[in-house]
Amino acid sequence: MMAAARAIDVADLSVSFDGRRALHAVDLEVARGEFVALTGPNGSGKTTLLRAILGFQVPDAGRVRLFGAPVDALPIRERARRVAWVPQSESVRDDVPLAQYVLYGRYAYHHFLDRDTAADRALAQRALSDVGLADRADDGLLSISGGERQRAILARALAQGAPLLLLDEPTTHLDIAHQLDLLGRVRSLARREGVTVVAALHDLNLAARYADRIVVLSRGRRVADGPPGTVLSEELLARVWGVDADLRVDERTGLPYLLPRRLVSEGPAAPGALGRGPVHVVGGGGAGAPILRALIDEGFRVSAGALHLLDSDAETAEALGIVAAVEAPFAPLSDATRARHRALLEEARAIVVAPFPVGPSNLANLEDLRPFVPRIPTILLEPPPDRPIDFIGGAATAARSALVAAGARTVRDVPEALRAVADALAANAPRSTAGPADRQEL
Amino acid sequence: MTFIVWDLYLPEVLLALLVGAALGLSGGALQGVFRNPLADPFLLGISSGGTLGAAVLYVYRIGEANAELYLPLFAFLGASATGLVVLAVARGRYGSVETLLLTGVAIANLLSAVLSLVLLYNPVGSEQVTFWLLGSLGLADWPVDGLVLGAVLVLGTLLALHGRELNLLQLGSDVAQSAGVDAARVRQRVLLLAALLTGAAVAFTGIIGFVGLVSPHIVRRLFGSDYRVVLPGAAVFGGLFLLASSDASYLAFPTSLLPIGIFTAFSGVPFFLYLLYRQRRSSPMGAG
Repeated sequence: MMAAARAIDVADLSVSFDGRRALHAVDLEVARGEFVALTGPNGSGKTTLLRAILGFQVPDAGRVRLFGAPVDALPIRERARRVAWVPQSESVRDDVPLAQYVLYGRYAYHHFLDRDTAADRALAQRALSDVGLADRADDGLLSISGGERQRAILARALAQGAPLLLLDEPTTHLDIAHQLDLLGRVRSLARREGVTVVAALHDLNLAARYADRIVVLSRGRRVADGPPGTVLSEELLARVWGVDADLRVDERTGLPYLLPRRLVSEGPAAPGALGRGPVHVVGGGGAGAPILRALIDEGFRVSAGALHLLDSDAETAEALGIVAAVEAPFAPLSDATRARHRALLEEARAIVVAPFPVGPSNLANLEDLRPFVPRIPTILLEPPPDRPIDFIGGAATAARSALVAAGARTVRDVPEALRAVADALAANAPRSTAGPADRQEL
Repeated sequence: MTFIVWDLYLPEVLLALLVGAALGLSGGALQGVFRNPLADPFLLGISSGGTLGAAVLYVYRIGEANAELYLPLFAFLGASATGLVVLAVARGRYGSVETLLLTGVAIANLLSAVLSLVLLYNPVGSEQVTFWLLGSLGLADWPVDGLVLGAVLVLGTLLALHGRELNLLQLGSDVAQSAGVDAARVRQRVLLLAALLTGAAVAFTGIIGFVGLVSPHIVRRLFGSDYRVVLPGAAVFGGLFLLASSDASYLAFPTSLLPIGIFTAFSGVPFFLYLLYRQRRSSPMGAG
C-alpha cells in the first residue's frame, strides 16, 4: 500500500492562526523522488504548509497524507521515520560535538533504555561525510562556521533516514557559495537515495536551478505549479511579488533566471519614462554601460543606439528597459537601423557619446550623429589614454574631432558627463512628458 | 559512640546524599526543559508552596504532638500541589515553555504574598518558618531516609531516563518533534517528576538552595552537555556537594547548628564563580 502512495498528498488544506487564514484550501501532491521548491512572498504560507505537512499544525479543514497515511494518525516516532526537517536555523546552546549532534537524528529508532548502536554511529558518520563534514566530527556546534552548521543540521536530518526531507529556507543565512553548496548536496543526495525533497526557497533562481517543480503560494493560496520553465514568468513576478523583472534563459543550462529591476508599485513599468530627457547614448562594446546605468539611476529617460544585438551595451540597455536601435550581431548598420537611430536622436534633449570602440560596422554612428550636434547639446566622453578606440585607421578619431568642431563638449568621466547633461537640460525647458515608450525590437 | 555514628551521623550522611541527588537531578532536568541556565528545582513555585505548607502547620499548630510526621507531609503537599497547579494552568496554551516559566514565577510570587500575610498576622511560627526556609538535615533518621530513598530511586530513575529527549529539546520543540520527540508530553512528564522529587526531598529538610542550580552546570563543564550524562552526573555531584557542605559546616561551627542552606551558598558560590570565569572562553549554556 505504502509503495504506491505519493510522498505527500495535501488536499483542501486550510489553516488559520487567531482567526486569520494562513492557508486557503491548498492542494499539493508530491511524487516520490521529486524535488519541489515551494516559493512565494513573505507571509504567503510556505512555512505554515511545511509545518502542516510535518503534523505540527492542526488544520481547520483538509488533510495531509505522508506515503498514504494521514499525518495526524501517525505516531510521532513513525512520523519522524517518514519525514525529516531542516529548519532555517537551529538554536544552538551547547557546544555539542558534531558526531553526537548528528546521532540525535536517530532518536526515532530508539526506545527508553537503548544505547546508540554501531549502526547508528555508522549512519551518523555517513551523514556527516555526505555533507562534507566527515573530518569535523569532533568539533563542537558552536565552534564551526554558519555554513558548516547548516550542513550539520542537514546531516542530522539525513541521519533520520526518512524518505522525505522538508527544508524551510535552509539557505537564508548563507552566502552565495554556501547556498549553492547546500542545495547541490541536497539535490545529489535526493537523486542518489531517491529521497523526496520539498524546500521553501525565497530565491527563485535557486529554485529554478535545483527543483524539478516550483509551487508558488500567494496569500495562502497555490497560484502556480509546474516545471521552472513554465511557472516562472515576468507576469507571475509582477502579480505575486509586485516586482518588475526580466526573465532570461541561461543558454548553457536552458534554465530560466530572473533579473529583478524594480518594484512595480514604484511607478511606471518603463524606468525613467516620466523622468527628464530623453538623453540619448551612443555606445557599443560595453563602453556605454556605465553612463547608461548612471543616467537611469539619476532618473533620466534614456535611449541608446545604434547597438548590435548580443553586444554588452545592448544587453545593459535591455536589462535597464532602455529604448534602443538595435542591429543584428556583427552586421554593418543597415539603413533601417540607422533611420531608427536618427529618430531617437531627433527626440533627444541631450546626447552622450560613450568612448566606444569604432570599427567598420559602427562608424556610421558617429557620422549620423554629426548633423544633430549643432542643435542638441552633445557630450563626448573621452576614452582613457591607454584604451584605443579607433579600429578603422584614423577615421574614428577624425569623426570624433569633427563632432568637437561642431560644438560637442568633451568630458573626462561619468560624473562630469552627468553634470554636463544636467546643465544642458536645465538650459532648455522640457519639450515633452511623453508616456512610457515601447521597447523597440529588432 | 555507636549511637552517635549509627543513629545520628549516618542517617544524616545518607539524607544529605539523597536530598542533594534529588535537587541536582531536578535542577538539571528543569534547566533542560526550560532551556534556561537559571532554572532550579524551586522554579515552579515549589519552595513557596512547601514553605507555605510548613507555615500553615506551625502557625495553626496542627499535629503539634507529631511534628516530625506532619511537617514533611504538609511541606510535601504544599510543594507538589504548587508544581501540579502550575503545570495545569500552563497546559492550555500548547505548553509553551515561556508560558510555563512565567506561570511558575507568578504563582510563586502569589504564594510568597500569602505566606507573608499568614506570618504577619501570626508571628508565632515565623522563627520556625525562617529556619525551614534555610534548610536543615536535623530530621534525619532511618525511617526518613527510607522514604526519601524510595522517592529518589523511583522518581529519580524515571527522570534520569529522559536524557535523550532533553538533548533533542535543546534544539527547540519543533526540531525535537520532527525527530520523533513528543515535546509537550515529555515536558509535562519531566516537570511532574521533578516537582514530586523536589517535593519529597524538601519535605524533610526545608529549602536548600544552590545545589540544584549549580550541580548541573558543574557536570556540564566537566563532562559536556549530553543530558544522558548531565542528569545522573548532577545527582551524584549534588549528593556529594550537600554531604561535603554538611560535614564542613559541622567542622567549622560545631556548636551552632548553622542551617545547611547558608553553608551551601557560602561554599558553592565562590567555586561556581571560579569555574564560570576560568572557562570564560567557552560560553556558558544559553549564551551562545
